[in-house]
Parts: sequence; structure tokens; C-alpha cells
Amino acid sequence: MKVTFKIFRFNPAVDSSPRWSVYEVEVDKSATILDALLKIKENIDPTLTLRYSCRQAVCGSCGMVINGKERLACFTRVLELNSNMITIEPLKNFPVIKDLVTDFTELFVKEKTIKPYIIRRDLEEMMKPVGMYLQKEEETLSYLQFAECIECGLCVSACPTVSIDRLFLTPMVLNKAYRFSIDPRDEGFEERLSIIDSEHGCWRCHFALACSNVCPKGIDPGKSIQYLKNMITSHSLLELFLGRTKKKKKTELLERPHISSEPEI
Amino acid sequence: MRESVKMLLHYITGVLILITGAIHVLSGHFEAYGLIKSAELYSINKLIFLASILYHALNGVRVVLIEFVPKRWFTDSITLVLIIIGLAFFIYTSLLIF
Repeated sequence: MKVTFKIFRFNPAVDSSPRWSVYEVEVDKSATILDALLKIKENIDPTLTLRYSCRQAVCGSCGMVINGKERLACFTRVLELNSNMITIEPLKNFPVIKDLVTDFTELFVKEKTIKPYIIRRDLEEMMKPVGMYLQKEEETLSYLQFAECIECGLCVSACPTVSIDRLFLTPMVLNKAYRFSIDPRDEGFEERLSIIDSEHGCWRCHFALACSNVCPKGIDPGKSIQYLKNMITSHSLLELFLGRTKKKKKTELLERPHISSEPEI
Repeated sequence: MRESVKMLLHYITGVLILITGAIHVLSGHFEAYGLIKSAELYSINKLIFLASILYHALNGVRVVLIEFVPKRWFTDSITLVLIIIGLAFFIYTSLLIF
């Protein structure tokens, strides 16, 4: 099957403006967009630049805009696009490093601000662990869907708010904030609050749901942002009217004698 | 004030606009049927309507502006400017009502 690829080309170090390159490629029925791009790179144009790694929708490296929609190149078959003309562009709302490769630095800086890890107050246990925080199945299921994020940036590219508000935390980061805030082991919700409840935090989400529409892992960041708003509102109301915050049910520490802080030699 | 409180007030004032606005519009009919008991109560309703509409509208403008000009200094200063505009307008219009 012969398919025409129209690919965005831009090298900011050399080019003054972007251009399009057109390639005709013979691909078989099972070929993915990534296969076709690698075929172009290997056989037609070695200067074409793209980023990829796992080839199985796990690493989130090969996100790009394919026929106008954000997709993973390794997870999209040429056939499913139902077209002989395929347009490929880099992800929107990111600076282009070269051709289809975009710079995620700004996004990861934003991610760092919300402390995307489990925060606990029992420092003694953190420094000298004596057990483990065993979770019940329902506790794990409460955040499992939101923990599947592979940080591919498709939601950030699709988000209409990010396109105008560069300081907006982005669906990916807000989803991560929610994922850790509802984790029963976490005690850091209040530490994250100053960032996620700021002018450019979760309240700037207008529920367009473009993020949920493109997420390759079915996470639904739009849903997690609404849950996050709900969580923040309940917290603010309790704080405002009762002067206290809701106590989170903690995961119990199960002591395990075989876990020792002193390494055995 | 945290953003969640500002947005919560935004939603509350939205509902208040609906209620007080309906009373305000229907007050003409109440008057025609001689049902008005207290003119002061209607003035208070008008005042709540005015305060709600001012907060709701100016907060809406603030949200649009901070999205369109994503600069930290602008985000901080626009809130202050809109509070001053809102208060000035509220005081002036309240004097007209009473």
C-alpha cells in the first residue's frame, strides 16, 4: 500500500521558518506510523528527526500530531487512519527542538512544583523503615486509573487552555497532583495546595476534555481535574467555616520484622 | 484569598444573580398587584443583585485577562485593579439606590 506522508520540518538553529516535506512510502497492512517514519529515515531522508524508544506505548516518547490529532506514533497503525495522505506535525504547545522532537523541560519543571511523589510526616519511619504500608484493593483502585500516566504530553498538546495560558499547570501535572493527593499513603495535599489552588492551577481548566479525548492510556485527566476541584472546595469550605480540615484515613503501617534499617552483611 | 474561594464565590454569585434578578424583574408585577410590603427589602435585594453581578462579571474578566496575559506581575496586579474598580462602582451605585 502506497501512502504519502507530509511531515513538518523545522530546525530552529538553521531554518528561519518551518517547511513541509512530502514522502511516498510503501507500507504493509500492519505498519505503524513509527514504522513508516523509520522507513523514511532509513531509506529516503536520514535528516528527519524523531524521538522514540519502547515501540509499545509505554515510554511516551513518540507523541506527535497525526492527521490533526495527538497520537503515539508507535500505537497508531497506518490503516486505522483510513487515508492515503498522512500529515505529521510535532506536539503543539511545546517548543520544537528539531522536526518532530519537542522540548518537555518546561512541563517537567511544572511537574516538579506539585511534588509528584508520596509525602509522609512520619520522618522516623521514612529514615528507618520498619514495615510497609499495605493497601487494600479498593484503596489501590481509587487512584489506579490516574496512575497510568506515561507523560507523553498528548494531553498538554491538545489542551486549549495551555495554548493561551503558558503558566497553566497542564492536564498532565494536575492529574499527577490528584493521583498523589488521593493516595491513602500520602499526607502532602496541603503542601501541594499553594500551587494547584493558584491562579494558574486547576481552576483554569474549562472542561473542554480535549485531554481525555487524546490520552492513549485512557486516564481521563479532565475527570481527575474535576475531582481535584471538588477536593480543594471541600477542603476550603471546611477550613473557612469550621477552621479545620478533613482528616484523611491513613494506610496503616504493618510492621515486618524482616525489614530492617540496618543492612545485613 | 485562595483561587478556590474566589471561584466558589463566583458560582454562589451566579446563583444569587438568578434569584435576586428574578425578584428584581418580578417586583414590577408585585407592585402592580399591590403586594409590596417593604420597599427597603426590595432595595436590599437590588443591592445584593448589584454586588453579585459586579463580583461575577469582574471575576470573569479577571479569569479571561490572567489567561490571556500569563505573567506573574499581571496576575497579581489585575486582581487589585479590579477590586478597586468594583468597589468604586458598588459604592457609587449603592448611593443611587438608597
